[in-house]
Amino acid sequence: MSEKVKVVGLEKHFGDLVVLDGIALTVGEGEVVCIIGPSGSGKSTFLRCINRLETATGGQIFVDDQEITSKKIDINKARENIGMVFQQFNLFANYTVLENIMLAPVELKKMNKAQAKAKAMELLTRVGLADKADNYPNQLSGGQQQRVAIARSLAMNPDIMLFDEPTSALDPEMVGEVLQVMKELAAGGMTMIVVTHEMGFARDVADRVIFMADGGIVEQGTPTEIFSNPQNQRTKDFLSCVL
Amino acid sequence: MNLDFTRVFSDAIPLLLEGTKTTIGIAIISILAGLLVGFVSCLMGISKNPVLRGISKAYVWVIRGTPMIVQAFFVFYAIPAVFPGVTPSAFVSGFVTLTLNAGAYLSEIIRGGIQAVPVGQTEAARSLGLSAFKTKIKVVLPQAFKIAIPSMVNQFIITVKDTSILSVISLDEIVNNAKKSIGMNYKFFETYILVAVFYLVIISALMVLSKYIEKRMNNERKG
Repeated sequence: MSEKVKVVGLEKHFGDLVVLDGIALTVGEGEVVCIIGPSGSGKSTFLRCINRLETATGGQIFVDDQEITSKKIDINKARENIGMVFQQFNLFANYTVLENIMLAPVELKKMNKAQAKAKAMELLTRVGLADKADNYPNQLSGGQQQRVAIARSLAMNPDIMLFDEPTSALDPEMVGEVLQVMKELAAGGMTMIVVTHEMGFARDVADRVIFMADGGIVEQGTPTEIFSNPQNQRTKDFLSCVL
Repeated sequence: MNLDFTRVFSDAIPLLLEGTKTTIGIAIISILAGLLVGFVSCLMGISKNPVLRGISKAYVWVIRGTPMIVQAFFVFYAIPAVFPGVTPSAFVSGFVTLTLNAGAYLSEIIRGGIQAVPVGQTEAARSLGLSAFKTKIKVVLPQAFKIAIPSMVNQFIITVKDTSILSVISLDEIVNNAKKSIGMNYKFFETYILVAVFYLVIISALMVLSKYIEKRMNNERKG
């Protein structure tokens, strides 16, 4: 398994507050990594550092051997290969579902309009929303919006997908449809880093589960190791609360 | 109280209609130019360049911090003093004053609209690889304008009414022409009732137009 993401000594401070304290992590190609942990542990901040929505205070992040943390890299170019799905979906309110998906491929000249439209319709079919192509985001349920958001990221043909608590803002009955899309994505060999509170998803889909607390990685291992036989007391405490 | 409109109608109405043309004309071009000035000032105000930001801030500060009547006098009298040989007409001075005035307020209104667009919209666009510029043009500004429309319409109405201040530099708009009519018949009260009616009609028309535009934009969105 070749290295897709490599994180070395990552630190992030907000003023005096240390949010990330020396994170080291390597993610292989096609690997699905789930990050769990209490809120405030730095999970989301860590994820957002990987595509530089947050700038790291120290340390390095490499994606496909490119140093994301370097000032010299063309971050826009690098981001084309790193898809991201947000807790609040963040679909563009001024565009239809179809236009949401087509925007980046057309603007970044990856595809012409006809190609982008064909790709968008193919992706919408894949997430089961082809009939919503001409709707505006506010006419969709949360689960539908999140599936469109996933399709929008996939339209750029990314190598890696980052998920930032993708089901946390959803009504319970809509969580399943989003997780299903993510499962299919994982089965298709996508490299995924998922910050989640869905322990069931982490157990079923993840190749590796990472438990974070206080800005650091406390424990990591296979889902079985983490969920059935946690070693660290903090992991045990956390799991006893959520399971 | 004794109101006598007999002479007022024959004296005032032709003059007020003439003034209405000037009022509407100068308001329209000043609003259009003000939109451009306001948009540019807003972009300068949110840019990363501290010099551009400073210019925008200073401009808004000066305009908001001084009464428009002072600005009108300043443009009308200061320009010929600073640039000898340049004597702008009342219309040109009025246009410059109204444009600068509306531009400063519109700059703040548009900035407010931009700030009201959730940051997640920008993050989503940037995460797809769109540049900061493209994100602004394609995602943030269209939404910001939509949010800002009611406040912008409000500013347009204020600008239309502010044209009356330009009577102090003898622009032949509604109020100045009303004064001329009063000079002929000394009917202050009756004339200003007519003036008020003229403004009410113009502003009402503007409000109907803006409602229509807002409605059409909303329908478009629903598809």
